[in-house]
Amino acid sequence: MTEPTNHIHRRLQIAGTLLVLGLLTEAICLVWARPLSFLTFISIGGAFLISGIGVYLLSLIPAKP
Amino acid sequence: MPLETILIITLLLFSIVLIGIIAARPSLTATRGGKIMAFMVFLFLPILCAAMGVSSELERSKTTRFCLSCHIMEPYGQSLRVDDPSYLAGAHFQNHRVPADEACYTCHTNYAMFGSFKAKLAGLRHVYIFYLTKPPAPENIKLHEPYNNRECLHCHLGARSFEQGAVHNADPDLLPAVKANKLSCVSSGCHEVVHNVATLAKAKMWSAQP
Repeated sequence: MTEPTNHIHRRLQIAGTLLVLGLLTEAICLVWARPLSFLTFISIGGAFLISGIGVYLLSLIPAKP
Repeated sequence: MPLETILIITLLLFSIVLIGIIAARPSLTATRGGKIMAFMVFLFLPILCAAMGVSSELERSKTTRFCLSCHIMEPYGQSLRVDDPSYLAGAHFQNHRVPADEACYTCHTNYAMFGSFKAKLAGLRHVYIFYLTKPPAPENIKLHEPYNNRECLHCHLGARSFEQGAVHNADPDLLPAVKANKLSCVSSGCHEVVHNVATLAKAKMWSAQP
């Protein structure tokens, strides 16, 4: 496996981890029906999801030769 | 749990499984099909899940149950069950003049432009006051701003009981003043018994059960 491919795979794994954490937070907040759950969903879940999507989008940018 | 929530959680779990598969085996993205799948799973599905989650949470935040889940609001929930028609909130709730499952939101939202958004911001202020300051006792809770007749007129404007009611028409200046929000419906001595949580201990309660 080449170095750039490794780099892309690493970023995909990081993005996947962040997205799974974000989606798990969202699932917990949907089950936990309290006023604070919405804030948790937006702040923590949202941060994970945005970071995960950001890392995924970064992985699409080809690495410099 | 509502069906909508179950469906969103199912979609969330489905997304988590797909993301997990690609994260565990990133080599799947080597092919064109794998790349398209990764795009769907890493971008489209999370955005879809987040949008559905936000929508669901916002809808849930309108429910009476949601508002009354804060302990400080419990007396206000009890005031909806007072067996006395002079209690404005109770009379509206018990006679379904407002949807019983969105009773708080129906009267306390803002029926102007971006009203729902402003109502949510006010809710955030409640969270701030509750968790980061010393919240007042339930009987000392005050509205952020005087209650606007617009919220009453959203339903009552044009209604026969409002437009042709004997008391409303006893003084020809009354209805125009009410409609212009110059004379408050709830704090001008007319319909001023609203929640009155300080006197709930003495009030007789109504039970929906026969």
